[in-house]
Amino acid sequence: MGLNESTAPAERTDNLPGRRERGVSGALTAAPSFLTTRMDTVVNWARKNSLWPMPFGTACCAIEMMASAATKYDLARFGMERMSFSPRQADLLICAGRVTYKMAPVLRKIWDQMPQPKWSISMGACASSGGVFDAYSMVQGIDTIIPVDVYVPGCPPRPEGLIYGILMIQDKIKESSPTQDWYGEEDPLAVGRPALPEDHIQDITLPFGNSTTQNRGSGLMSTGAVVRPDDRRP
Amino acid sequence: MTSDRFEEGLEGLDQGAPRSGARAAPGGGWDAHSDHPSVTALRGKFGEAALRHEIVAGDEHIVYVDPEHVFDILSWLKDDPEQSYDFLQDLTAIDYGDGQRIQVVYQLYSIPHNRQLRIKADLPIADLELDSVYHLWRASDWLEREVYDMFGVVFRGHPDMRRILMPYNYAEGHPLRKDFPLRGRFTRAEQTRRALSMKTEDHYSPQELEWAKRLGQPLPNVMEEGGPGVPNPAMPGVGGA
Repeated sequence: MGLNESTAPAERTDNLPGRRERGVSGALTAAPSFLTTRMDTVVNWARKNSLWPMPFGTACCAIEMMASAATKYDLARFGMERMSFSPRQADLLICAGRVTYKMAPVLRKIWDQMPQPKWSISMGACASSGGVFDAYSMVQGIDTIIPVDVYVPGCPPRPEGLIYGILMIQDKIKESSPTQDWYGEEDPLAVGRPALPEDHIQDITLPFGNSTTQNRGSGLMSTGAVVRPDDRRP
Repeated sequence: MTSDRFEEGLEGLDQGAPRSGARAAPGGGWDAHSDHPSVTALRGKFGEAALRHEIVAGDEHIVYVDPEHVFDILSWLKDDPEQSYDFLQDLTAIDYGDGQRIQVVYQLYSIPHNRQLRIKADLPIADLELDSVYHLWRASDWLEREVYDMFGVVFRGHPDMRRILMPYNYAEGHPLRKDFPLRGRFTRAEQTRRALSMKTEDHYSPQELEWAKRLGQPLPNVMEEGGPGVPNPAMPGVGGA
């Protein structure tokens, strides 16, 4: 089969011996052909396999994110051929690390600058909940600032964890319906504002307490590690 | 240095006030056997303005001085050829939590003489003002701003006395004071709202401030404690006068 055949009319492939038996025509002969599918499927297939992440690395989680993109774990396997350091060309925000209140308007602005459709991953304990930094300067979870699709737990998560989170994003994209959900429909007043209403922020950022206060709250007198009865030695 | 002396010195660490553990000699708190030439010279030169002397951690010499004379003493320590402390290693402050004072600490190093000296000044918490040493050591520029930001000590004569770490519209006080609650004074929702009311363009450089001043342009009142903050057209009611 040569290059000449690629421009041949489709009917000719039927005349070639053996083609019809294989049940394929254009796929093997490179002749013009078509397939039928749902619009959602093909658009989602294209979107989920060409995500460009916008890395928002603020702390040690970013090191794991870099490792994920490097040779051993190689995010390019999943279509993330390049980290997009410009938000205008990105569709997946990966917030890796703790975010201070001083950094919050920056994060919000980057999110606002990303075009629809866009998704976001909150990577690690600090980005997801403030982590151990339950202090005056720290955002207690970036979901108070921007909408979040996937939370990756860990301190920091291993690259496998981040990749698993990205695969979940891909699953989410696969299940979405670009022909019916209108992504461009974003409240213009939401730009520059918190992602959640005020009382909701208040609810989720109430101090959870560290292990000491939790143990006290559960009636344990000791503030050491919780010992299960089975673990006690005679 | 014997290990006894080292242990003895450790006793005096982090107390901020002379105790029995620290080697403060009787009689005005001056160690008669001080082998630090600068301490002796400083006492001879300034007399009463140098309050007392202390040795901690074996060989670290601390001189407590009157805050009114901090600038005179430090400029003498820098310019006198016998001292020439030409390197300000650190400038920081301590709140010991007694509600009485903030202690400003200058860690000096003399490169020509290979000598270290620590100068401390206790400021009453009601009157936190001190002369800036910006014009002695330019290294103190950001350090003084940090002490102002974290403790509220105002350095007279500093050319650009603004917050450096916290956002300019921060109105919850000075976070490293002992009476500051760990999670801040506002609710998380209010903190989030105030943070997002800042614009990323709001961080003016001193040059920009100077140009705006010369051109007579209005600037957001970002430097005042508890000030109205930075107005944001996107969020009516947040910031602005």
